[in-house]
Amino acid sequence: MKINKAKKKLSIENKIFYIFNTLFWIVIMFMILYPLYLVLIASFSDPDAIVKGEVIWHPVDFSFIGYKAILKYGEMLHSYLNSILYTLTSVIISILVTLSGAYVLSRSKFFGKGVLNFYFVFTMFFNGGLIPTFLVMKDIGLYNNPLIMILMGCVSVWNLMVARTYIQTSVPQELYEAAMLDGADHFQYFFKIVIPLCKTIIAVLAVYYGVSKWNDYFTGLVYFRDREYLPLQTVLREILATLQVDKSGDYMLSMSENAASMNEAVRIANVAKYCIIIVATGPVVVLYMFMQKYFEKGVMIGSLKG
Amino acid sequence: MGKRMKKVKQRKKKVSIKAQMKNQWQLYLLILPAVIYFFVFNYMPLYGIQIAFKDYKAVSGIMGSAWVGLKQFTTFFHAYYFKRLMINTFLLNVLYLLCSFPIPIILAIFLNQIRGEKIKRMIQTSIYVPYFISTVVLAGMLYIFLSPTSGILNVIREMFGARAIDFMSESSMFRGIYILSGIWQSAGWGTILYIASLAGVDQSLYEAAEIDGASIWKKIYYIDIPSIIPVIMMVFILDCGRLLSSDTNKVLVMQTAGNIPTSDIIGVYVYNVGLGSGQFSYTAAIGLFINIINFVLIISVNRISKKMTDVGLF
Repeated sequence: MKINKAKKKLSIENKIFYIFNTLFWIVIMFMILYPLYLVLIASFSDPDAIVKGEVIWHPVDFSFIGYKAILKYGEMLHSYLNSILYTLTSVIISILVTLSGAYVLSRSKFFGKGVLNFYFVFTMFFNGGLIPTFLVMKDIGLYNNPLIMILMGCVSVWNLMVARTYIQTSVPQELYEAAMLDGADHFQYFFKIVIPLCKTIIAVLAVYYGVSKWNDYFTGLVYFRDREYLPLQTVLREILATLQVDKSGDYMLSMSENAASMNEAVRIANVAKYCIIIVATGPVVVLYMFMQKYFEKGVMIGSLKG
Repeated sequence: MGKRMKKVKQRKKKVSIKAQMKNQWQLYLLILPAVIYFFVFNYMPLYGIQIAFKDYKAVSGIMGSAWVGLKQFTTFFHAYYFKRLMINTFLLNVLYLLCSFPIPIILAIFLNQIRGEKIKRMIQTSIYVPYFISTVVLAGMLYIFLSPTSGILNVIREMFGARAIDFMSESSMFRGIYILSGIWQSAGWGTILYIASLAGVDQSLYEAAEIDGASIWKKIYYIDIPSIIPVIMMVFILDCGRLLSSDTNKVLVMQTAGNIPTSDIIGVYVYNVGLGSGQFSYTAAIGLFINIINFVLIISVNRISKKMTDVGLF
């Protein structure tokens, strides 16, 4: 009788918890997703409705005006292509360098392992700082050179360690011994056996490196003089600088050749800024969604022991 | 029979060690690109640090410029904006750390209590999304939503008859906006480690607790929280180590003429004055000063934590 009562009390208590938890997550999900949703619906709305604050739950006067307008901003398209190029080449280089480095660090026996580990980890705690780095890059000819956008940040110590832990825990040691017995050398073992077993971590690295490269505006801001090299995010920052004073229309007018009039340009700018956000963020979110199934597994395996 | 097996095994082992030694050069070749990368992008800039003790002139270059000792440092310590920069940098980071740190822990604990794998996965997938948004786009969204003329927040304020506020130009609002937007962007992502370690908790603990009649709150308090404490400590040390290297990139895009009194932090100052007005030696000295503080900070936090809880990074 008593036990039953206690059980009943407990189940009520737990029920209250679940109700609370459900409400909690509804609120959290709303706070996280609503801003994104708002940008999405605004990008398909009519600029006048946006300015009047009518766009809150769904697109108003559905239109593609904004998207059509940004197609005409020559510089944005150009920088978009730049960003795609920078990101693709950089990610391929990053993955190759990181994986081969991680493979070496995962081998238990080789001379100089301790020194190398220190060599890498030290860079996490101390660096030259912005100005010395800038001057040295200038001295070696990487200023205003597209290579800087591809190379800078293309290996991260953190990712190197995550990949090393992954190889240590997920590629069985027996495979290594068997391969060595069959007379394989490190090259053959690494390219023919380790890489095919590393699909998960490759996906994780691709997302990490790809996102940080795509989202980087600072390197472009600091290291490029010629506008033709600028990546998308750096160009976006300039548009943004004009958003501060609600004058984005000027910028768009100066960039688009066909804008009918100043007023029209300002009007369209009100919706175009939402479209720019969607277009700039889209590739990253799509990449994440594609890689998502590998993602959690890889991140967890890599980081738990690291 | 047994003996022969042993012999074969021994020979096998010998062969593998021999093969390993023979191919060592391949290992060095494989790691060479990473070594070169860090040499060029991390160690060569260390050589450039010397300009903090020099008076850098572009014509004479890094090596050729004249030594001035600690002049750049003393100039900075005596500058009228020294105190402001230090306070802004310190406050922004400490407040951000204090406000943002507990949130991923809370999210992870409550996410762990959701029944139904599908919903759990869906929530997990969506709370990571903001992390993939770039700094520039995040700041753009802030400018749009907080705009005094058409921003949704001001539209709502006006509906209730309140006056519109230009949030991004209010220096008193800057820290709050920085912190809240930072939490929005990274709290979900921050749950990954906690979720992973919660998933590793021994299920029999929960079953035992259930038999003893523990409610969910009690299970959270007595099982979940103690089991993630080591991870919490580890993340905390890492965060403390980054205490003064706040997100310069983000502050730089959020800075407006109006909010400069609170948004002027050391990283942004170094960018503006160093690259903007070409005072390379002076800003290199400021950067070095901050780097040293950070270095000392992470080493001491690590020491303290090792002594108190036995959790350390190195």
